[in-house]
Amino acid sequence: MRLRVALVSVAALLLVVGALVLSGVPPTEALAELARGAFGSKSAWAGTLRETTPLLLAGLAVFLALRAGLFNIGVEGQLVVGAMASVAVCLAVPGAAGVVLGTLAGVAAGALWALPAGLIKAYRNGHEVITTIMLNGVANFLSTALVAGPLKDPSQQSPTTRLLDASTRIPDLYSAPPFRVNLGLVAGLVLIAATAWWLRRTVAGFELRATGANLRAAEFAGVPVRRVMLWSMVASGAIGGLAGALQALAYEGRFYAGFSPGYGFDSLGVAILAGASPFGLLPSALAFGALAKGSTSIQILGVPKGLSYVILGLLIVVFAVVRYRREGARD
Amino acid sequence: MSLAVRLRGISKRFGAVRALESVDLDVEAGTLHALVGENGAGKTTLMRVLYGAIQPDAGSIEVEGRARRFRSSREAIEAGIGMVSQHYSILPQLTCLQNLMLGAEPGAWIAEGAAVARAEELAARMGFRFDWHADASTLSPAGAQKLEILKLLWRSARILILDEPTAMLSPADSDALFESLAQLRSEGATVILVTHRLPEVMDHAERVTVLRGGRRVASMPVADTDARGLAELIVGHTLERASAEPPGSLGEELLAVQGLVVAGYRGDDAVRGADLAVRAGEIVGIAGVDGSGQRELFQAVLGVARAKAGVVRLFGEDASKWPPSRRLEAGLRLIPEDRHEEGVIDEWPLLENAALGLQRVPPLRRGGGLDPGVQRDVAERAARAFDTKHGGLRLPMASLSGGNQQRFVAGRALQLGPRLLLAFQPARGLDIEATRRVYDAIRTLCREGGAAALVVSFDLDELLEHCDRLVAMRSGRIFEPPPERAKDRAEIGRLMVGAA
Repeated sequence: MRLRVALVSVAALLLVVGALVLSGVPPTEALAELARGAFGSKSAWAGTLRETTPLLLAGLAVFLALRAGLFNIGVEGQLVVGAMASVAVCLAVPGAAGVVLGTLAGVAAGALWALPAGLIKAYRNGHEVITTIMLNGVANFLSTALVAGPLKDPSQQSPTTRLLDASTRIPDLYSAPPFRVNLGLVAGLVLIAATAWWLRRTVAGFELRATGANLRAAEFAGVPVRRVMLWSMVASGAIGGLAGALQALAYEGRFYAGFSPGYGFDSLGVAILAGASPFGLLPSALAFGALAKGSTSIQILGVPKGLSYVILGLLIVVFAVVRYRREGARD
Repeated sequence: MSLAVRLRGISKRFGAVRALESVDLDVEAGTLHALVGENGAGKTTLMRVLYGAIQPDAGSIEVEGRARRFRSSREAIEAGIGMVSQHYSILPQLTCLQNLMLGAEPGAWIAEGAAVARAEELAARMGFRFDWHADASTLSPAGAQKLEILKLLWRSARILILDEPTAMLSPADSDALFESLAQLRSEGATVILVTHRLPEVMDHAERVTVLRGGRRVASMPVADTDARGLAELIVGHTLERASAEPPGSLGEELLAVQGLVVAGYRGDDAVRGADLAVRAGEIVGIAGVDGSGQRELFQAVLGVARAKAGVVRLFGEDASKWPPSRRLEAGLRLIPEDRHEEGVIDEWPLLENAALGLQRVPPLRRGGGLDPGVQRDVAERAARAFDTKHGGLRLPMASLSGGNQQRFVAGRALQLGPRLLLAFQPARGLDIEATRRVYDAIRTLCREGGAAALVVSFDLDELLEHCDRLVAMRSGRIFEPPPERAKDRAEIGRLMVGAA
């Protein structure tokens, strides 16, 4: 039975090697370059951690909803409106006050963006996958329109806001160039630990997990399941908004059309790979972040960036097989 | 007479537990053979060995005279064996026809007309009727059971294993089931019936095999024994008569239902103006055939079903507007009808399942948190109450057998100060001994703890034996016999069916 897991792993590896051979690059060299690009130097590490930050938070957003039995595909949209709202506030209110208000605005925007999906799910039984995908579309067009209109920096050709000055940015917690760690990453780690504790130790966390694990049993156990669904969707959106706000205020310093390269969608994979514990988000977000960083350096060798998605996809397949085995074995 | 099944020396261990020890079983072709024993006696395990779902450590299997070694259920099905487990495998999202064919489709392309024709033919043979294109979610428990049996016939099974088939059925539906099984046997099929209900064995089986602690302790024609003799073989000692001394003086009214109307899930009213009062110290049983509104009454008392009209008073207060959580906090406890769907979370450890439904009850709830010490304590006491056999409180609920899950759920309902216990078929899947212990514990709770219990069962004998008084439910209304006839079988039966 372990054989099946081994076979899938080997098949996955062969697919990666095959893809590399097809693109005309020696596989060992490409994979070594991928690893070097992600972890090979201090600046590589800094880049990997930077890529990991939004994935960690967006992954937590998906994870929390998933625990409540909801598949929040809308983290992408929540992240985008969160980023936009935070930058809009910071453009108006500079300095540390702006950073605090902007972050809160991002959280509120993300929560607001999830609210309709939560309401429709809880009280009209409309499927959250459909509603959140639709809200993603709205977030995308709305933010593009705003950044091409009222929020646009007139001195720029492309639809982007003005760059925030350094005093209106989330600072690095530790900085010894080329290595640095931003406060945003630490905030993500703290939030994950807090969520893990909350899910395990509080009545509200217990009731959220019960709702996700067996809706009917939760109802019979006195859990207000509709309220739980609504609030876990809103909380998930708030964390998604926070992910966007941190990405904007810590790293990008501005908002522009096409702000997210798909963090919200990658975070679906991050959350699924994480398994049942929030701490599983750490390795899985790091894996995604490392591949994102590493894949930019193998582009130089002529390997398409999309290869990192191939690897991620295969990683999820292998993980699914392993987990399936574990659950099957219980029977 | 030829043997349909011949098992010799079947042994199976799970870790340190010896589930089966050198068990023999002979089943004659064309007969109904009953397999009885307590929870954990090995009945289901033995049947799963025959069905190829479990590989035995030792022993041999012969089916219709041929030695067999099944590596999977698929091979057992090919050899003509079919099994319906305790948990139905009907998928509610699929239609009846799709469920019937699932896993045994006639080909890659399904000719729907031909499939329906064959389904109709099988159903007609058994005297069943189905709307083949309706969702299976619309099926009653009896309908689902019938569909399960047709699934076996669809797969051309000649040897049918039924594990507790009547656990969810009303007496009328059970009778209909046994008529269908008689019909099947007259066509040459063999039936192995796993059951706790000895009257069924006495009325319908030709032979009976008794398992105890993983060993076969007896096998004989049913004509050579009686229900009492069988019961003693099952538990291994002489049974004491249940001590159903009448309650002393009753206390305050803990539950009062007045003019209650509750919608059924199909839109029409399932409870139509029910009145009932339960006072501290008493165990009240609700008799009635399945679907008379018992389910909706319970759900309205718990608060998960909304009352369209009427009042529910709990512990002296109007609780009609209370959410379920407040009712549970006030001391309402539940042994739900469908343990699987309503009572436990399969993949959660016992430790967490112990808190389910009690999570807001102090001292388990402390501030906004769950007290880990109290939680462990509750879990240990819930498991100990009826000797739930488990491998550790951190193992998932799904690792327990059905009967042990039921013991745990019943034990949990007694924790943290219960004042009113709602028990829906509390003995479902339990053996004689465990059933008696559960009712004894409920009685102690009511007599000494000042609590009360409301019990629904479709087994009138069980209610008569264990409850202080009975009421009957029919067509959404409650009918109370005159006090002096509150345990009169004929009177209750009359009220159940509405005869004048």
